[in-house]
Formats: sequence, C-alpha cells, structure tokens
Amino acid sequence: MAKKKLTFEESLERLETITQQIEQGKIGLEESIDRYEEGMSLVKQCRDMLSKAEQRIQKLHEKADGSLGTTKFDEPKPS
Amino acid sequence: MKRLPFNPGLITPPQTKAQAHSKQPLSVSELTAQIKRAITTALPSTIHVIGQISNFKRHSSGHLYFTLKDDACELSCVMWRSDAARLKFEPKDGLEAVATGHIEVFERAGRYQLYARKLLPEGLGELELAFRQLYQKLSQEGLFEQARKKPLPRFPKRIAIITSPTGAAISDIIRTLHRRFPCVHILMYPVRVQGDTASKEISAAIRRVNTNATQLGGVDLMIVGRGGGSTEDLWAFNEEIIARAIYASRIPIISAIGHEVDISIADLVADVRAATPTAAAELAVPVLHEIIEDLSMHEARLIRSIRQITTLATSRLRGLENLHCLREPLDFVYQREQYLDELGHRQFQRLAQKLRTLRMRVEKYDPIIQRINPHATLRDRENRLQHASQRLDWTISKLSQHQDRRLSQLTHQLRQQALDLKLTHSHNHVMQLRTMLKSNVRNYMTSLGDHITKQQQLLNALCHKRILRRGYSITRIKKGKQLLRSVKQIKDGQRMMTELEDGEIESQVVNLSQLELFE
Repeated sequence: MAKKKLTFEESLERLETITQQIEQGKIGLEESIDRYEEGMSLVKQCRDMLSKAEQRIQKLHEKADGSLGTTKFDEPKPS
Repeated sequence: MKRLPFNPGLITPPQTKAQAHSKQPLSVSELTAQIKRAITTALPSTIHVIGQISNFKRHSSGHLYFTLKDDACELSCVMWRSDAARLKFEPKDGLEAVATGHIEVFERAGRYQLYARKLLPEGLGELELAFRQLYQKLSQEGLFEQARKKPLPRFPKRIAIITSPTGAAISDIIRTLHRRFPCVHILMYPVRVQGDTASKEISAAIRRVNTNATQLGGVDLMIVGRGGGSTEDLWAFNEEIIARAIYASRIPIISAIGHEVDISIADLVADVRAATPTAAAELAVPVLHEIIEDLSMHEARLIRSIRQITTLATSRLRGLENLHCLREPLDFVYQREQYLDELGHRQFQRLAQKLRTLRMRVEKYDPIIQRINPHATLRDRENRLQHASQRLDWTISKLSQHQDRRLSQLTHQLRQQALDLKLTHSHNHVMQLRTMLKSNVRNYMTSLGDHITKQQQLLNALCHKRILRRGYSITRIKKGKQLLRSVKQIKDGQRMMTELEDGEIESQVVNLSQLELFE
C-alpha cells in the first residue's frame, strides 16, 4: 500500500474498514494478520495525532494587501 | 409726451387684487412659481400618503419613480437614490404602501410630485415583507436546496469563527469547542454583527477566509453568527449580500444566529443551521474522549478478532493432524487388497457352483444311459460332452481373461499408489486359483471319461443276455464259437450250440433248408 500520510479522518475510516474486514472473516489468515498489524499501527498513529494537537486561538486581521494576518486572541470574559 | 427712461424704482408692484383682475398675462414660469409658493405655504413639510403602488420603475441612476393611487386619484412619486438604498424591501406594483415626504412642483413638467423619503408597506411589517421577498427570490434561484449543501468534516483541524469579538457568542463557542475537542485550531475573525455595515463586513470576511484558506494552513469549517437580539439587531443576517457570500463559500459554514426561534436567510443558505452558538460548536467538532474510546474499541475488536482467527486456525490444524488417513496412510491400500481378495474368492465360488451344476446335469444322464441302448447315442453324447467341455474351457478362459483385465486395471491403480509388491502377491494368488480351477475341471473330465468307458464295457457284456431274456437265442457253431448267422455256414449232421437266457443246448442239424425268399 502507498505509504501516503493519511489524515486523521482517513486513518479512522481505514481503521473501521480493517476492523470490519477482520471481523467478517472473509479474508485469509495471512491477510488478517497483515491487516491486524496495519490496524494496530493506525490506532497508534491516531492516538499520536490527538495527543500532539493542542488548542490554539488566534485572531485574524486584514492586511493592506488583502491577505489575513494572525495575532494572539484574548478570550473575552463571559458577561 | 416724452416717454420717461425705465426706472425700476418708480414701478409699484401691482396690487394682488388688481393683478387678479388684470388682463395682463403671466408667463408660465411666473404662474408656476406662484403655484409652487401656494402649495409650499399651504401644505406641511412632511406628509404621509397611503395608496397602491403602480408604474413602479427603478431607473438606472438608482432613483425610484412610481405612482400612488386610490379608486379615484393618482399621485406621482419620486424617491432619490440615497433614500432608496435604505429600503429593506423591494417595492412592487399593487403593493399598498405609506409614503412619507413632501409635495413639490416639478417646474419643467408642470406637475406636482411627492418626494418620498420613506416608503413602508401597509399591513405587513417592512422587515417581514423584505424577508418574504428575499426568501422567494433566493428560493427560486435554488440557494436553499439541500442537494448543494456541503457535508461537514468529521474532524476539523482549523475552524474560522466570524462573529463579534466581544459578544457572548464567541465565548460560548470557544468554551464548547475547548470542552469537546481541545485539539482544534480556532481562528477568530472579528466583525460587527449589527448596524448598517454589518452585512458587508460579514460577507467580506467569508470571502476573505475562502481566498486565504491555504495561506492560513487550510480552514475546514466556518461558524458565522451572533448571540440573541431583536429582529432589527439580527437583520444583517437577512440581507442578500450575506446569503450570496455563504452560497459562494467553498468552506462549509455553520450558521448560529440568535436563539432557536430566530431563523434568518443566512441560516437557510448555510450548510448546517445551529440553533445557538453553543449548538454550532457542538455540531462542528466531535467529543475527543469519545474518539479515544472509539479507538480503544477498535483496538479491542482487532485483538479479539485476530485471536479468534488464530485459535480457529490452530484447532483446524490439530484436526487435520489427527485425521485417520494421515496417521495410517497404508489403511487405504490394505482396504483395496482386502477387496481384491474377496473378489478372487467370490469368483472361485461362482465357478465351483457352475461346475456342481454341470456335474448334476451330467449325472442325470446315468440312469438314461442305463435304460436305453447307448450304442447309437454314445458318440453323440461324447461329442456333446466334448463340446460342453470346450465351452466350459472357453468360458473359464474368458472369465479368467476378464478377471485378468480387471486385475491388471487394479494392478495399474495400485502401482500408481506404489503398491507393486502386494499386487504381485494378489495376482499370483489369483493365477494359482485359475490353474487350480483348470486342473480341477480337467480331472473331472478325465474321471467322467473313465466312468463312461466302464459303463460301455458293462453294457457290452450285458447287452445280448437282455435280448435272450425276451426269448431270443444265439446259436454258434460248436467248434470255433463262431456265431451262426446263415445256413450256409453249416451242413447236415453238424453240431451246434444254442445259448438261451438260462443255459445252452447242444443240438445236431437234421434238415437244412434255405429260404428262397431271401436268396
């Protein structure tokens, strides 16, 4: 399989497909084991992706050339 | 009389009364000016007129021209571009409306007109009418169609929020996003959400996020909205310019405007409408710990399934290892051998039975041979026996050939299974049986022949005595014991011996006479 970097969503979808394939038992033993290994590495990848991402809040402002710049955004105190 | 030069100071303006009666004509401009004055002084500077709009025309300059009328009268109306821009709804012929403005004479055309500063629909509220008109227009263009709505991403990485930076909406959204999915990147786009410029700012923001999405690292989703407020406060979201911007956006948009009960045009065009800003945040992102649970569930299912598969495979392997044919591979061969043995035995028994039947048939002839004179039939019987014997031989050889063929087939099969030794053994055994069979049959035939010869001798000895018992006698010339068959063999006075059943008589020929008839 092409080792293209999957997005989180693609990884989770692939994981769901693999789980179903193995559970249905329609694929052979060797393929099942390959899929199992792929699935377990996807579980790890997904966990890594989730733990790496952290919340960031930025404010956008319009620049003279029409593009957008970002600055730190201080959350308003809820009234 | 010399005419005095023109001196305006000497002219006294004509008395109004005198002028009215004066025959002196007025210029059009003078009259129009008088009318204008009269009207201006007679009417208040602000007038409200109700009537039905007709002949409505929006000029390319932006000014509006229309007529207000009732059953009997018509009034020309004008609304300048600057006032027309503030209209929320689109005036239409047939609409009952109240125009507010002042009456002025349009000198060039010689007619008076109402210069409207405001125009409000009668009956329905202005905003309600505006909403209905825009709804109908955009609906016909297909902006609300479900089919063109974009699906929301399951796991957005980056969300742009277009709203006021100070309202309750933004803090509700940020708090909810943080609670559910703390790993999302939020881009806050501050805009005014009410007032005349709000709709322009919001639609510009939507377009700008779209054009700069790549530069911002990819924007997966937008939330556009504000907290609750009056219908007028929320009005910006009912304007066409926002509807168009939302429709044109490539990035999916969740609208969150006011409270549950407030539905705006922007809500209808948005890909998903959230009842409140908090609801928008809930729709935008999944719950992180649920995803983690989901991952763990998948992990557990994978482990369980692979265990099941390997356990099943192991037990199948054990089952195969214990299979009889793998543990005792020669059993198959032995079974075939046993079958072959049985086949040979059965064939032998069948032949023996046939022999017994034949023997019984042959023995039936014994009493017949005893009863009748066998001389005539003996040869024939011998021939038939010979023939039967040949057929028997032939049948046996045929049967054994057939058996040979079957044997060689089986031998071939067995050979293919690498069973030469056992086959040869079986083959020899059958060959032996065959030889035994043949020799048995021959022995029997020989003993049968002997038996027949004995019978013949016995018969030879007995036959003439049986004739004698019936009263016949045999006469022999005494000397030489030659049978007396003709009178020519004997002379008068010669002695002869006559054999009867129970004894012999010696006699002498007295009178010899020949039978003429037989000469």
